[in-house]
Amino acid sequence: MRIVHRARWILSPRSFAGIWYLMIGLAWLSPAWAQEGAGKIDTGDTAWVLTSSALVLAMTMPGLALFYGGLVRSKNVLGTLVQTLAILALVSLIWVVFGYSLAFGPDVGGVIGNLDWILLSGVGFTPHAVYGATIPHQAFMVFQLMFAAITPALFTGAFAERMKFSALLLFSGLWAVVVYCPLAHWIWGGGWLAKFGALDFAGGAVVHISSGAAALVCAYVVGARKGYGTEYLAPHNLPMTVLGAGLLWFGWFGFNAGSALGANANAVSAFVATHIAAVTATLVWIIVEWQHRGKPTVLGAATGAVAGLATVTPASGYIGVGAAIAIGIAAGIACYFGIVVKGKIGYDDALDVVGVHGVGGLLGILSVGLFASKGINAAGADGLLYGNPGQLWVQFVTAMVTAAFSVVVSYVLLKVVDATVGLRVSTEEEMTGVDLSQHNERAYS
Amino acid sequence: MFTRMGVMHGILSAFTCLMLFAGGARVSAEETKPPVAVASESVLQAPAAASAPKIDTGDTTWVLVSTAMVLAMTAPGLALFYGGMVRSKNALGTIMQSFILLCLISVQWVLWGYSLAFGPDKGHIIGGLEWLGLNGVGLDPNADYAATIPHQAFMAFQMMFAVITPALITGAFAERMRFSTFLVFSLLWATFIYDPLAHWVWAVGGWLRDFGALDFAGGTVVHISSGASALACALVMRTRLGYGKEHMAPHNLPMTVLGAALLWFGWFGFNAGSAVASGALATSAFVVTNTATAAAGLAWMIAEWVHRGKPTVLGAASGAVAGLVAITPASGFVGPMASILIGIGAGVLCYMAVMLKAKLGYDDSLDVVGIHGVGGTWGALATGIFASKAINAAGADGLLYGNPGQVMIQAGAVLVSIGFAFIGTFIILKVLDKTMGLCVSEGEERMGLDLSQHEERAYS
Repeated sequence: MRIVHRARWILSPRSFAGIWYLMIGLAWLSPAWAQEGAGKIDTGDTAWVLTSSALVLAMTMPGLALFYGGLVRSKNVLGTLVQTLAILALVSLIWVVFGYSLAFGPDVGGVIGNLDWILLSGVGFTPHAVYGATIPHQAFMVFQLMFAAITPALFTGAFAERMKFSALLLFSGLWAVVVYCPLAHWIWGGGWLAKFGALDFAGGAVVHISSGAAALVCAYVVGARKGYGTEYLAPHNLPMTVLGAGLLWFGWFGFNAGSALGANANAVSAFVATHIAAVTATLVWIIVEWQHRGKPTVLGAATGAVAGLATVTPASGYIGVGAAIAIGIAAGIACYFGIVVKGKIGYDDALDVVGVHGVGGLLGILSVGLFASKGINAAGADGLLYGNPGQLWVQFVTAMVTAAFSVVVSYVLLKVVDATVGLRVSTEEEMTGVDLSQHNERAYS
Repeated sequence: MFTRMGVMHGILSAFTCLMLFAGGARVSAEETKPPVAVASESVLQAPAAASAPKIDTGDTTWVLVSTAMVLAMTAPGLALFYGGMVRSKNALGTIMQSFILLCLISVQWVLWGYSLAFGPDKGHIIGGLEWLGLNGVGLDPNADYAATIPHQAFMAFQMMFAVITPALITGAFAERMRFSTFLVFSLLWATFIYDPLAHWVWAVGGWLRDFGALDFAGGTVVHISSGASALACALVMRTRLGYGKEHMAPHNLPMTVLGAALLWFGWFGFNAGSAVASGALATSAFVVTNTATAAAGLAWMIAEWVHRGKPTVLGAASGAVAGLVAITPASGFVGPMASILIGIGAGVLCYMAVMLKAKLGYDDSLDVVGIHGVGGTWGALATGIFASKAINAAGADGLLYGNPGQVMIQAGAVLVSIGFAFIGTFIILKVLDKTMGLCVSEGEERMGLDLSQHEERAYS
């Protein structure tokens, strides 16, 4: 009762006024951030990182939203789109208020960033020596913001068509803070996995393994959709999904090539590897499906492209074109069978987040240990094929730690959310569809 | 009454005159140049080139990318945002309005619009005709506007702003305006409202700029002007048939969400591109744009959840657009925490404005007044509150930094923009109502704009 009362207070006009005055105070107190001149900003590098940030935004909204939106039934399309939109808005705010500080702020014992950069204080326009020495620090911050926003949006595919909107907000907000921020810190923020030597160019572990593992837990804890396995739950608009996949591909150039943090040779190399892996995986998926099931589907081709993109992500900055083709082939095959296996095991990962992002991310992180080459990126390391088998072990440990951390914490968070606001809509609401039951709207009329 | 041939003839002869005039202007400029000046110029060429503004590839990249992003805001962004909100019989007619403006105003802009807006100042009111047909607008940087990019890059960037502004108004008269009248209206509006207003606020010598009004990326020029004009449209033109009685449900909300997302994406070009260079200021504008948008989307959602019981998807998308609108004038002058406040204010105020419309009874079909008018006004005033020279030394301090006068300056600029846009639009509409007729007939409206104006169906 008390919790309910408190929740009402949070939503009351009085609390709005309180927050308002608090924020005005903060805005006034916030010191001047713009200390220009100390580091040297390169206009071309900054232009590329800003462009890439916008491209990664386009991956989330509209790319991923449409990719998922087309796959659900028409009574759930708005509910699916708004999950991604709401996560983008929520995580954007969390990130500038304290998320960025937790992930990238000054290190505390290799585990987490401290709160020195809370409210972006100290995160100005002078380049940070490690996080992009030729771009304003805030450009790196906003680029990373887009990564933090898309990661929880990815696992919404696992519980599509049945999650309560309030539960979605609570779970993804908590997940961004408790799972994403620490993981980003461990691998990219100078934490213990970075010191251990883990290589993850653009987010194979931080983004794809973490969201894929969380998706697996979500599918188990939330439970299957009504009629799963007995009715045919057909996608309502596959052209929408193809448009979404096209926008994901477009935006992924920002995701991977932007991770070079400058308009340089490394960015070009990542750009090329990204594209080649995506086309290879698309073709391989088509061929495998054709052989295995008799017809090449359009959904398969689109899914294959996304699988290739997800898989090459951690490797994109460390590999050449030959390795990109090999990764694309492996992604097309492994992710295809990842999805086939799902059908046999019977858990309802509605839009195949585990098969695409979980399997793809895992494969990608391991592939870094095989194919990485200092000849491509001197700041990286050599992999097994270049005489350094130790890197494969480091990558394996990174993948396992990431998956285990995400599974355990996601499970706990889901249980907490279930106990407070409840995870699932009622059976009746699920039959009506989340568009009407959660948002009081119809998509089409 | 115009005959169709007469109109064609008029357009062709006007076009011929322009070509002759533009060509003549170029010749005369070359002829009147005194030979001495030519000589001294060539003598001074080497040292002048060394000290002259130099094109920076990074800056130019950013402005060109931003220009393409602002194009994506109009079509497909805005076209789909509006297109999804109308009934299916009007989907093409609505999309066409944004799409054809991209063509129409682009041509207007290179022929005379850019010269009127940014050409050499005449009495602080309007640009001269010296830059007609882009005469003299070349690839050397113009230090007054952007010292490190080709002048034509600045011109093209500004063109996309001139295009999207009349496209925003189309939401006010959706589902009922005659296509031919719409074209003439937009051309007149761009020439007599947008170009002068852009000159006042942004051009060297413009009187509102000299007055000290801050508008980083178009709060007054783009949003207040289109919002006030939308109000004039909604008041002058009749409501849709059945407005207030029938439920006119949006025919495709996923299309609207797609449009809103593309607006969000393109708006980074709109705001961060307005630094007309890559670097710290563009980064700052980018960050506050995203932050305000996120805050406004959540604020609208929460306001609606509390007030009406459910958070709608159309509400979340509208809230995000309201946040984008409100941060626009402030984006180059404020920090991230101020942008959260601007976003929250936009989400709540615009939600209230849209709710209020239903009570007042005018038919601003797609809520241009509530989102662009109110959001733009809030943003322009908020700039006067939160602006800080620590963010942008070329700006000014606002109320919170000890300069309450800035709020008054901003309020003055808001009132002038609203008054000018409203009255000017009102006059244009009245003239067109007498000569061409504004709305389609009732039969045509029942049939839908797609069939009656364009002889097409959107879906089959």
